[in-house]
Amino acid sequence: MIASVDDLHVTLRGNPVLRGVSLSVRPGEILGLVGESGSGKSMLALSLLGLLPPDAHPQVTGTVEVAGVDMVHGSAAAHRAVRRRELGVIFQDPMTSLNPTMRIGRQITEVTRDRAQAVQLLEHVGVADAALRLRVYPHELSGGLRQRVMTAIAVAGRPSLIIADEPTTALDVTVQAQVLKLLRDLRDEYGCSVLFITHDLAVAAQITDRIGVMYAGRLAELGPTRDLLTAPAHPYTAGLLRSRLSLSTPRDRDLPTLQAEAGSRGSGCAYHPRCPLAVDRCAEEQPPLTGSDHQKSCWRDISDMPAGNSAPDPGGHGAAAEGEPVVKLRDIRCDFKVRNGWRRAGTLKALDGVDLDVAPGEAVSIVGESGSGKSTLLRVIAGLIKPTAGTREVTGGTQMVFQDAGSSLTPWLTIGELLRERVLKLGRAEQDDRIEKALTAIGLPITVATARPRQLSGGQRQRVALARATIVPPAVLLCDEPTSALDASLAASVLNLIRKLRGDLGMAVVFVTHDLAVARLMGDRIVVMTGGRVVETGAADDLVSRPQAEYTRTLLAAVPEITS
Amino acid sequence: MSDAAVVPRRFGVRARTPAVHNKNLNWVLIGLLGLITLIALTARWLAPDDPIQPVGDFNLPPGSPGHLLGTDLIGRDLLSRTLWGIQASWLSALAVVLVGLLAGGLIGLVAGAAGGWVDNVLMRLTDLFLALPGVLVAIAIVAALGPGLEHTLIGISIVWWPYYARIIRGEVRALAARPHVEAARLAGAGKGRILRRHLLPGAVPTAIVTASLDIGNVVLLLAGLSFIGLGQLAPAPELGADTARALSQLLAQWWVPVVPGLAVMLLSLIANLGGDALRELLDGRR
Repeated sequence: MIASVDDLHVTLRGNPVLRGVSLSVRPGEILGLVGESGSGKSMLALSLLGLLPPDAHPQVTGTVEVAGVDMVHGSAAAHRAVRRRELGVIFQDPMTSLNPTMRIGRQITEVTRDRAQAVQLLEHVGVADAALRLRVYPHELSGGLRQRVMTAIAVAGRPSLIIADEPTTALDVTVQAQVLKLLRDLRDEYGCSVLFITHDLAVAAQITDRIGVMYAGRLAELGPTRDLLTAPAHPYTAGLLRSRLSLSTPRDRDLPTLQAEAGSRGSGCAYHPRCPLAVDRCAEEQPPLTGSDHQKSCWRDISDMPAGNSAPDPGGHGAAAEGEPVVKLRDIRCDFKVRNGWRRAGTLKALDGVDLDVAPGEAVSIVGESGSGKSTLLRVIAGLIKPTAGTREVTGGTQMVFQDAGSSLTPWLTIGELLRERVLKLGRAEQDDRIEKALTAIGLPITVATARPRQLSGGQRQRVALARATIVPPAVLLCDEPTSALDASLAASVLNLIRKLRGDLGMAVVFVTHDLAVARLMGDRIVVMTGGRVVETGAADDLVSRPQAEYTRTLLAAVPEITS
Repeated sequence: MSDAAVVPRRFGVRARTPAVHNKNLNWVLIGLLGLITLIALTARWLAPDDPIQPVGDFNLPPGSPGHLLGTDLIGRDLLSRTLWGIQASWLSALAVVLVGLLAGGLIGLVAGAAGGWVDNVLMRLTDLFLALPGVLVAIAIVAALGPGLEHTLIGISIVWWPYYARIIRGEVRALAARPHVEAARLAGAGKGRILRRHLLPGAVPTAIVTASLDIGNVVLLLAGLSFIGLGQLAPAPELGADTARALSQLLAQWWVPVVPGLAVMLLSLIANLGGDALRELLDGRR
């Protein structure tokens, strides 16, 4: 075994983050660790590295061994030696984990001690002009290249285990596909093991040999990738698979969701409050992880699992009405001045001649990778950015929901105060009435009105942002990746809410996303953008099944799918 | 098992523990700021004797009966003089800081929120004041208006606000770039409303912390100016002036200059520690 963890319990600041995890990484395998935020997957990685945050006063019981060294108790020097010789690490954001003040070359030679080898490594991870690139700083590279450099550093010391914590989450899908392939190739060549941490089952499906599904600090299920995906043994895994939004999810019904988090969980299985199979025993006794090759931690038999919980969309979603478009953009151009160091300023064409019509009540999805101009377009519609050229006609009000709901809500104001701002013209009694109605419509209790944003969870905050946008229904609701920061099960319920609000209020929706599967589910029509231009527009299902543009095909091919 | 483990930011429950062990100490330090202010305000009743009239023998050492801190060269009670001195120094420092905070804060707020040419004009004006050697300008103003505590305060206030304008403008600028301001604009909030509700409250903690850390500086500057004869006029008690005038006695009767000198040190120390404590508490809250 390269690394093994046995009955590991970790408590940080009095909160249990790992509650009895046993797991071993076999030589040469890629082991996926999948779970939602807070499931403890990153803490497991930090435990293996011997790098649990000391200021959180970690209390650890159980054993963690890497290459035969105890990573819990041994000396700091021994831990360092293991990290240097046996481990390589790739983090989610290479911009923050690479040193911004050091040239790439020096950062690699810190490990290799040899320039020639550094060049060879960079070539190996697919960086063109490797010898020249040694002289650049991290900020001069694109996200994909940075992650390749990070990978080069991780493999430079010929580690026996690479720990990759969400290495592709911050990357565009097409780049993600390349980085996944790179990791696989490196594993094949060097024969090292990889512990691959991700929140996305489909990404894990692309690359892993085995998958461990984590829930609330425990392994819910652990088994060979193919088995686990085709025949999940734990209701949580089954629920995750079912609620995953893919290119084949039915468009005409509510998106399948997991039961929302409920109450405290007592001494039994942590999943039982959300579990459709829960019986009394589940609330009282913690199920052990049982089985030989494909292990599960559940008292029940998965074959009793009821069929999908998605109800047909009751009102259908709002249909596009005939009539004058509410948004009419013609040949919109948007130039940004960019400065390249102290050199002369250049011009970035964020939008390069975009036409767009949105009919009343229509849902349009705009898809593109980072830098495609999709968010800029949304801002032009909202009137936040004045286009350099072109005409913009927007009838009726627009409202916007941002990617990061947390930072779009003023932190020191209460939810009630934030909502009230939109209805100041009304009388006091009517204001209260509208606030109550808006909160009810998004499924939050009225007591939320006295809370401040940081007291809410991410999903609740995004709901509040929606309430704020729709308390006075706008003609067009603009959504800028509203669910990309949310866990899968939460994301689906927020998407359902947007669809419901659209139907109830008769708004048009313009939904910006990088995810084609989400775009297909949220839009009647999809607009594909790259480099500030629209490359293809089409009805949602047509565009996905019969893409015309080369770029759309590339994008579709890169979407990770679980094929059974 | 606590809920907090599953849903870290559950309603109303916030797990924030760093620096818990310091929290009580912080409140004590902030309490000291209040205590000093209270002492300064009630010096008139706290002081056992008249600070200006001789009330006992000359140069009594500390601990003499009736004169806890001793008496000075002409037999004035040192405790009374120090208490009155604390009043003069502390309240003056508070006044200067308050004026700086209001004037500088307003300019910084407007500049940071407006941006563009308004920002440029206001900030270049601020730069102009920052470029002047502050203390010298203050001295020049005092020299022009004639010595006296009020004139010294006017002089210092005129050169003191630019620091606040700078700091608050920077803070507001950073806040203005955050999505919640854009969201408020989209929600239909007007300029005044955004300024009042979505920007100002965010800059308040920084302003308060900066100001409380600054009180110590002003106390020292006032003492320094009084020391060279530009502060409180002769018989009235002022800590810096009292230290300066009695300096020749340092070897013979050390307590006469040291008592007011120590008081200056104490004020400045408490102001700094209190400011730090305030910062920690407010940082924790954001």
